[in-house]
Amino acid sequence: MLNELRNKAETAFKANGFPTTKEELWRFTDVSRVASAEFSNDWKTSDLEFQPLDKITVVFENGKLSREKSNFDDLPKGVCIGSILDLVDPRIGTLADAQSAFVSSNTAYFSDGAFIEVTDGTKFETPIHLVFLADVDGAAFHLRNFISAGVDSEVTVIEEYIGQSGATYWTNVVTEAFVADQGFVDHYKVQRESATSFHFQTLEAHLGTGSVFSNHAVTFGSALGRNDIRGKLTGEEGEAICNGLYLLKDKQHFDTHMFMDHAVPKCNSHELYKGILDDKSRAVFCGRILVQEDAQETDAIQSNGNLLLSRGAKVNTLPQLEIYADDVKCTHGATIGELDEVGLYYLQTRGIDPVKGRAMLTFAFANEVLDEVKCKVAKAYIEGLVHEWLEQVEK
Amino acid sequence: MALLEIKDLHASVADKPILKGINLTIKPGEVHAIMGPNGSGKSTLSNVLAGNEAYVKTAGQVLFDGQDIDDLAAHERACAGMFLAFQYPVEIAGISNMYFLKAAVNAVRKYQGKDQLDAMDFLDMVEDKKKIVKIRDDLLERAVNSGFSGGEKKRNEIFQMAMLEPKLGILDETDSGLDIDALRIVADGVNALRSPDRGFLVITHYQRLLDYIVPDHVHVLVHGQIVKSGGKELALELEDEGYASWVDEKGA
Ligand SMILES: Nc1ncnc2c1ncn2[C@@H]1O[C@H](COP(=O)(O)OP(=O)(O)OP(=O)(O)O)[C@@H](O)[C@H]1O
Ligand SMILES: [Mg+2]
Repeated sequence: MLNELRNKAETAFKANGFPTTKEELWRFTDVSRVASAEFSNDWKTSDLEFQPLDKITVVFENGKLSREKSNFDDLPKGVCIGSILDLVDPRIGTLADAQSAFVSSNTAYFSDGAFIEVTDGTKFETPIHLVFLADVDGAAFHLRNFISAGVDSEVTVIEEYIGQSGATYWTNVVTEAFVADQGFVDHYKVQRESATSFHFQTLEAHLGTGSVFSNHAVTFGSALGRNDIRGKLTGEEGEAICNGLYLLKDKQHFDTHMFMDHAVPKCNSHELYKGILDDKSRAVFCGRILVQEDAQETDAIQSNGNLLLSRGAKVNTLPQLEIYADDVKCTHGATIGELDEVGLYYLQTRGIDPVKGRAMLTFAFANEVLDEVKCKVAKAYIEGLVHEWLEQVEK
Repeated sequence: MALLEIKDLHASVADKPILKGINLTIKPGEVHAIMGPNGSGKSTLSNVLAGNEAYVKTAGQVLFDGQDIDDLAAHERACAGMFLAFQYPVEIAGISNMYFLKAAVNAVRKYQGKDQLDAMDFLDMVEDKKKIVKIRDDLLERAVNSGFSGGEKKRNEIFQMAMLEPKLGILDETDSGLDIDALRIVADGVNALRSPDRGFLVITHYQRLLDYIVPDHVHVLVHGQIVKSGGKELALELEDEGYASWVDEKGA
């Protein structure tokens, strides 16, 4: 069955090819550098280091699961973790948009990925840390993750991508998440790919009645990157939280495309995205909220704030509301600005020097995104990375 | 030695001359009040003293604790012991009041060659200062001034002043926006901070504040100049007569 899916995907990928900037969804992001490159399938064990965030780590080195580096042997009943190649589920491939070049090439060629399942009623508190190491120059890594949370279950997943500095490669990930009724998936993505790499991820989440899907996507790496985050609320009283932070410098280009589909009444979706851009970096944020005709009493909030640290940095932000129901509460907003000089002066009059003051204000700007983070280790880890990034930028 | 010595100070904002030759000397232990009509330059004076770069000193000299303030950036003036309680305190999203205060206290201590306070010492200090200026705990946890009411912001300014223990406190209309009880609490706080080596410059429109914080000297600032100085009774005269005689003379 998987073979059939892969064959179909390969046919679609070959027929459609990569998108161009003539397509509305790709207007601001030119992927010709990926489309025209030749990537190898070379493989080696990875020399990269990583910091396990908790007891459970699932490590993929250059696109392949490493049992040696991973640690997920001791699992309670109701929790299943493994390679997607070993644990097949008929729902794989049913969520992600088969027409997208990145999804179809992924389906055709994925070499491995994480399979995570928590059964009905299972509340698993230990965060599952997925680590993807990339240090083969010139390679493509197609990774496929699958997350399934049963009725009234709970699971936390942290995807972290780490790349060898100076290596040029292409990471192409698809993550599909199924959250059954009253389920809770707390999902994080920390993207620390090399500054010369290409990184694309499509994340698709399907939310049942009364379920919660929370996603925090934090991006530091890749020369050219994009997150396509798509949520579908299919049962009443579902809640989707999709927050994100991108910290860009040099000539990095990073694009977030969000699509939140309110198909049924009484659901909430909240999206808070913030970006800090230095040098000649460029960010794209496109957040589309669709409220279908039946989706009365929808509560949707979206905002995107950007802080420019340099005149050369640029942002295209396009919040979009598409509302077909009449009893809804929807707001969106976007800002692009520089650091508040009045705030800086205020801090200075309290003895805080401007360098420290700038760092405090910049961190505060970013940190708002992390306010809702429930997973303590994820929060502390991300905060540390943000501080590190800010210190580098100050130099 | 005088704590603050202002000599023939001229200053401009956005190329517009505002201060036109101010002379004022504050000795340790003294409280000076400045009164004057809207737009006369009171906040401009406090901003020039605090080191706001939007306010440009064009002539004259200011010595703070014997040192020319031209040599000090805003944060260095604060570290050297100058404190400005803002007429319009600034909201800072994303930084808790406690974190902000700790950063400020330790920045000042570092400059003054004192040990850094650790979390415990800092909390002890907060508890201590809360006795001087009553401030609700939830305001300390919230982001600096964010969503604070007008009165809460003003009280937070005085709390910060108590924490930073400056040599000179400049209070720019700290009384405006305060209810009667809050005015009393803030004034008591300022009085508790009065000491033989600390001075205050109190800017206000209302004689009422000066009933509580009794000044040694009162100055009237009109059109960027001090047109009259006197004792505390001058404030009472102004309350009766207003500024008409000076404003009219200048044809404003
Ligand atoms: N940033 C600025 N840009 C332009 N003009 C300014 C600026 N700041 C102050 N001014 C002008 O300078 C003059 C003095 O203002 P200032 O705020 O010092 O008055 P003030 O005496 O404090 O008045 P108030 O009693 O209303 O607080 C006013 O005419 C004001 O409009
Ligand atoms: Mg004023």
